[in-house]
Amino acid sequence: MKKQLAFYIDAKRCIGCFTCAMACKNQYHQESGVIWRDVYELKEEIYPHRERAFYSLACNHCENPTCLNVCPVVAYYKREADGVVVHEQDKCIGCGNCIRSCPYGAPRYNPVLKRAEKCSFCWQRLDDDRKPACVLSCPTDALQIVDLAEFDEANAVQYPAGFPRYPSLNPSVRFRLPAMPKMIRRKL
Amino acid sequence: MSEMELPLVIFTVLSQTAVGLVAISAIRQHAADGPAGSVRPEWMTAALLLIAGLVASLFHLGHPLGAPLAIKHLGSAWLSREALGIGVFTALVIVGFLSARDRVNAGLSFAAAAVGLIALFFTAMTYSPPGFPALNNVMPFVFFLLTAAMVGAGFASYFTSAEKMPMITRILAVSLIIGLVVYLVVPFLWLSGGTVMRQTGLNYISSPLYWARIIVGLVIPLMAIWRMRTLAAWVPVLVLAGEIMGRIAFFLLAVHASANMGGIY
Ligand code: SF4
Ligand code: SF4
Repeated sequence: MKKQLAFYIDAKRCIGCFTCAMACKNQYHQESGVIWRDVYELKEEIYPHRERAFYSLACNHCENPTCLNVCPVVAYYKREADGVVVHEQDKCIGCGNCIRSCPYGAPRYNPVLKRAEKCSFCWQRLDDDRKPACVLSCPTDALQIVDLAEFDEANAVQYPAGFPRYPSLNPSVRFRLPAMPKMIRRKL
Repeated sequence: MSEMELPLVIFTVLSQTAVGLVAISAIRQHAADGPAGSVRPEWMTAALLLIAGLVASLFHLGHPLGAPLAIKHLGSAWLSREALGIGVFTALVIVGFLSARDRVNAGLSFAAAAVGLIALFFTAMTYSPPGFPALNNVMPFVFFLLTAAMVGAGFASYFTSAEKMPMITRILAVSLIIGLVVYLVVPFLWLSGGTVMRQTGLNYISSPLYWARIIVGLVIPLMAIWRMRTLAAWVPVLVLAGEIMGRIAFFLLAVHASANMGGIY
């Protein structure tokens, strides 16, 4: 398998502090309401505890990216070297097709520029041997960057509950499931 | 929920009406005996519908001047194929209108109808993306074909001679019956899907817009045809109004897959 960078989301470690999302905002100063990375709380139907669990999600830089496939003006390309899916905003005509098409809600509409945009995996930082801003900022190391060609974590899951399953896109993302909290009950 | 996308509502409904109009015109002129009808005004109407739809579609783009670039990705983007298909269809319809005497040449008529149907298929593929589980299937194609058949037949009645009105009325009545069954059944089928598809079904069933579309665009026109045994001039207007409401519902009520992040899919 060719090198394919991916986010590794360790829900066992994530404390839902939003630092990754803030770091992204700090790095790129997106327009208000335009979010590249967000932290989602698992709903009670999946994680029924007082303790909560979270997934920090952005673009998954899919193996077969629908955003790229549906864009009529070829504003996306996938980097040969590391599989990062890049959106070239100056080429975008703002048709919204990628936004409708991506089931992960990664491309967003920038109402000021009237064009789409999405997580870039901080490819400029990668090219400078630096980690993406979100990964760098995570205080618990719950968000990491891995190469799927070498990644070998037996407990990792691609489609955990609470994350849509689209094998045809093959999203480059892996999760560690959240731990079940230890329940301590007083004996009656 | 999503947005109303009025420019896309106008573009899709008008272009599909033009496809239906041209396809029915080809059949009426060349595959049925009797007078052809008012073919030139009919093809002019189809051309005007397409031009109006194309102009409306520009308002959907953040950068309308980039529209010509939209045919750059024919290799994989259905939207590029759609842009090319509708473009070629519009050109054929304009040539048909300009070259028409009392009929449009048979080869050109059927070629235009075929290209129109292919363009309609491309449009359907554009609007069935993975992001909307309820629509990521054959349904948009069925909905769009029904628009072409229902509104196309309705509009064709304005250009049809009295001898051939029963044929057009029959096409419209059968299309309306199929449309009624499809539109009543599909939202209830969605209820048996995953969370997002089910929510789309619930949005439809609880939406006054959906029920208004069933009554205005399907039930009343069907009853009018049944009671009068002929096609009154106001019926196609109602069918068009129903399709516009239905298309607004199509864009407005479908739930995006990402809306349920963190919940069971
Ligand atoms: S998650 Fe969406 S935007 Fe990101 S690569 Fe996959 S399809 Fe494209
Ligand atoms: S919004 Fe921009 S990037 Fe997305 S499909 Fe349209 S032109 Fe391509």
